[in-house]
Amino acid sequence: MSDDLLELARRAVEAARSGEAIEAFASWGRETEVKVYQGEVESLVSAESRGIGVRAIVDGKLGYAYAADPDPDEIADVVEQARTNAALAARDDGNVLPAPQPIEPLAGILLPELLEATAEQKVALAMAIERACREADARVKGVESAQYGEGLGRVAVASTTGVEATSERGDCWAAAVALSSDGDGETQTGFGLQIARRPSDLAVEAAGREAAERAVRLLGARKPPSGRMPVMLDPFAAASFLGVVTSGLSAESVLKGRSLFAGRVGERVASERFELIDDGRELAGPGAEPFDGEGVPTRRTPLIAGGVLQGFLHNTYTAARMGGSSTGNASRAGFKSTPGVSTTNLILAPGDATPSALAASAGRTLLVQDLIGVHSGANPISGDFSVGVDGVILEDGHPAEGVREATIASTVLDILRNVVATANDLRFLPFGGSIGTPSILVGEMTVAGL
Amino acid sequence: MIDESVLRDVLAAALATGGEFAEIYAETRTSISVRLEDRKVEEVTTGRDRGAGVRVVRGASTAYAYTNRLDRDALRDAAGVAAAALNEEPRAEVRDLTRAPERVLNPVRLYPEDVETVSKVDAVRAMDEAAREVSGDIRQVIASYAEGSQDILIANSDGLLASDRRVRTRLACTVVAQRDGNVQTGSWNPGASAGFELLDTHPPDATGRKAAQQAVVMLDAVGAPAGEMPVVLAPGGGGVLFHEASGHGLEADLIHKEASVYRDRTGEKIGSELLSAVDDGSVPGLWGSFAFDDEGTPSQRTLLFDKGVLTGAMTDMLRSRIMGLPATGNGRRQSYAHLPIPRMTNSNILPGTDDAEEIVRSVKNGLYAKSFAGGQVNTATGDFVFGLAEAYLIENGELTRPVRGANLIGNGPEIIARIDAVGSDFEVWWGVCGKDGQGVPVTCGMPTLRISRITVGGTG
Repeated sequence: MSDDLLELARRAVEAARSGEAIEAFASWGRETEVKVYQGEVESLVSAESRGIGVRAIVDGKLGYAYAADPDPDEIADVVEQARTNAALAARDDGNVLPAPQPIEPLAGILLPELLEATAEQKVALAMAIERACREADARVKGVESAQYGEGLGRVAVASTTGVEATSERGDCWAAAVALSSDGDGETQTGFGLQIARRPSDLAVEAAGREAAERAVRLLGARKPPSGRMPVMLDPFAAASFLGVVTSGLSAESVLKGRSLFAGRVGERVASERFELIDDGRELAGPGAEPFDGEGVPTRRTPLIAGGVLQGFLHNTYTAARMGGSSTGNASRAGFKSTPGVSTTNLILAPGDATPSALAASAGRTLLVQDLIGVHSGANPISGDFSVGVDGVILEDGHPAEGVREATIASTVLDILRNVVATANDLRFLPFGGSIGTPSILVGEMTVAGL
Repeated sequence: MIDESVLRDVLAAALATGGEFAEIYAETRTSISVRLEDRKVEEVTTGRDRGAGVRVVRGASTAYAYTNRLDRDALRDAAGVAAAALNEEPRAEVRDLTRAPERVLNPVRLYPEDVETVSKVDAVRAMDEAAREVSGDIRQVIASYAEGSQDILIANSDGLLASDRRVRTRLACTVVAQRDGNVQTGSWNPGASAGFELLDTHPPDATGRKAAQQAVVMLDAVGAPAGEMPVVLAPGGGGVLFHEASGHGLEADLIHKEASVYRDRTGEKIGSELLSAVDDGSVPGLWGSFAFDDEGTPSQRTLLFDKGVLTGAMTDMLRSRIMGLPATGNGRRQSYAHLPIPRMTNSNILPGTDDAEEIVRSVKNGLYAKSFAGGQVNTATGDFVFGLAEAYLIENGELTRPVRGANLIGNGPEIIARIDAVGSDFEVWWGVCGKDGQGVPVTCGMPTLRISRITVGGTG
């Protein structure tokens, strides 16, 4: 099947005219997702799709065209559309294709057992998630959703500069949303998630239990009195926060004047405890790939070391514009779009202490389990960061009272500089790509409530 | 798109294992987008997508398989995969397919394929130029044009056969302004179920200016106040609050799953007497409108609140059947790759009788929320948080300084009970609403509206 994709991609490259740079990205994917509700299959979705996207660069001008499930005979037409579109765009000397580089395969991003589960087994896994969630606590009154999913993908890239690469990957996941109630009409929700490369490694029950725990923990939560206190972001909340940080670490954001880190390489931008890398070859993370969306090998790229900004993530375009080389971070949102820049596995280094020991060391601490409204309240350009939070207040590391309808308002840089430590509970979450993060303890912040 | 004999065959194959209902949804879609940034037309993209999904329903269980091939073999394969979820004797038959009468809800004057791509490139340039003329503080303009033309065909085992062509066009402009290290953004993104004539009602230069003005105004913004205060919502953009805080909770799937704070409250007076609201997918030409929903049900106007009393919910076919509710034509999907679920179309708070300017004058100290940056709601509890992209202090009945970093925090049912003035004006706002990983075009419409008190989370 990968060979078949590579054939399609080669056909596009063969349609190139002299002086043109042509690159084709072909992909195929198959997904299965089972949702159960109250012990019955709510839905079972099985999907297969493939397509090709063609970049044409003519005189430094870029055009793009794509087609779902093209016949080999239609490829030349897709190339022609990309060529026609290029004529309407502006010249930009950053529009170049990468030269071929040796690619080290990444064994382990596709495990054969992923393909072996039957439909019945997948349904049983989804049922187990729901059951574990319901049975975890008497206060779980319902399970809004419990699902098992798996995905398998293949890609091929070929270009007139000689790039030819194929790879295949797969993973599976278990997710649940629990509804808790303590009988007086109040309902809270909690989300749980586990990921793995094959069903036998997937902690399905842990996903259900986690959802239950997070929903129950918020029962009786109130708007707290406003005040200053240390704040600990659990891995879910930390991943949402890091999502905002990373948009500024893309060279694309820098070039477009959208990065709050622009011009700060070599400067202290975070607490010295803060170590952030991008690593496309870390197999524990779901973002592992042997090469990026342009066929450039992935690698490990330090971003913030000892609190000092080390550099930015690049694709071939941003590297050409800023003078450097691609870090293997060209990203494709499928075959329908040109390569952007994004993280592969973004990893924040963990510390030694458990989250509760860390919180105990800080005294009365707000443990945040959800950042609400990040896409509106966090401005990745200005760095303003004003979001809703819910969670629990920890006294000596133990849950004391639930908190909801509170807000924290600060700036991204202030939070980064105010990081006291990271805990030892690193986990990978598939939020906006793949983020591996432990809980983060931040020094005193203003928590606005009543 | 697909022969009727093929449709019948595929539906029969889908019902072969005991399904009660089967459906084929097929579509082809062509699109063009043009994007400008940094004064340069960066990219022109054309695309062709197509695919079909076969759905088999039994009780409350659904199996769905999709492919991006539309030939008989591929569709039969998909039907086989969906049917494999069941393993019983056939119990339902395919009724004769009857073509639904054509319904032209959104007449198109200028089909996008009849307009040269260069005119679309000119449109993004015009947005860029007009935005940059607004102020010397403009640092960046991102302007784009997008059109999509979607042909859909739906056939089901109850004998429904419906097809529709949907054309949508949208302009989008985001502007970044900067002064003394302070960076602010503004955006304006009008869209319609229409062709290139969108540009007559929303000229590109005016679109660019609107986005730029918002960014520039916010450069003078001071930190938002914090605490409870009266808030006046501007017409149009303020509708996001109702969409998020009440609309989602009235989507029947969430009610069915006990994940809605509005469950079992039909007939109850929850909102203020001044609140009447509808979801209406049948307003000709609006961005969230269509002739048939993605299950072939004609779009309609559904009353959600009548003088504060909860009167309805938005359903798709499945939820309508299992919950015994009327079918409201809200079964929507992002594409053939998704199952239909209940979604809003154009969710509107109906105009009242108060004078919009008088509403602002009535507030001594409060906040005027002009444009929302998006938000998040927990439908089970009704708790929400919304960021404000553009907001002003109201001091002694007048809009004074713009404020930044403001959030509105509250609870849906509580907030709609506190609506104490509704203007006679009305505007709409265009967005793409996300739910369960599916994005669909929606509008939010509303008049100027006052909420007696709401928590503002600010920086100072």
